[in-house]
Amino acid sequence: MDQEFEVAEGRRDGVPVVSVLGEVDVATAPALREALDAAVDGGSDPLVVDLSAVTFIDSTGLGVLIGARKRCIDAGRELRVVVSEPRILKVFEITGLNDLFTIHPALEPALRS
Amino acid sequence: MHVTADPSGSDLSPSGPTERARVLSGKPVELSLPVEDDLLVLVRFTVSAVASRAGFDIEEIEDLRLAVDELCLLVLQGRRTGRLLLTMSADPGQIDVWCHYDGTEDPHQDDASEDGDDGGLSARILDALVDEHGSAPRDGRPGSHLCKRRDRSAG
Repeated sequence: MDQEFEVAEGRRDGVPVVSVLGEVDVATAPALREALDAAVDGGSDPLVVDLSAVTFIDSTGLGVLIGARKRCIDAGRELRVVVSEPRILKVFEITGLNDLFTIHPALEPALRS
Repeated sequence: MHVTADPSGSDLSPSGPTERARVLSGKPVELSLPVEDDLLVLVRFTVSAVASRAGFDIEEIEDLRLAVDELCLLVLQGRRTGRLLLTMSADPGQIDVWCHYDGTEDPHQDDASEDGDDGGLSARILDALVDEHGSAPRDGRPGSHLCKRRDRSAG
């Protein structure tokens, strides 16, 4: 089975980054939501959500990201998502969410954007 | 967790996808799981094993993991008690999964719905990843079914 779920908040090059590791599903989505809520409330800079270490995401995880995007818009913040794993990108594509989110293939471009 | 597979105890160590699929033909795997946090991890693990034995390739298995996960979410509809009953039946080139809820809790909006998803994402994912899916209640229990066929052009 895939590794344990972890979510961490930090900064890279002064940009707030929420990094996610493992599988995002109905069990782990609440922890992701809590971390994103804190990050959105914690500033006004563009916020990066790094999903490059995510190995699985379902509709509950996507729903959390949609909610975070709404809160960012309300707060006047930009949300950028990093997705490098093809099978994770596929989930965004089949749901049409690749058109909703600003998706970067790696962290560095997301930080510089 | 209650799991039943092949009750005859026959050797399930053939080689090659066709041989594995023949072994599984007509022998459904049944799961009865309490609705708990790790529920879907176990479901995904089991469908991966069943699909692998049926000869599906890695990409198809990944599709099935997500599809069956979404099938369960559609059946659960935010419930946090009771049991989830799954039956996975694999024939050569095809896998069918039935999922039913056994309990007394009514469906309700969970946090995912509060984030703006009303099940539409699950349906969209299933539309893209499987050949058939739909409501399949049984014995008064709410449930759903999906069917995925192997992409024979993938070899």
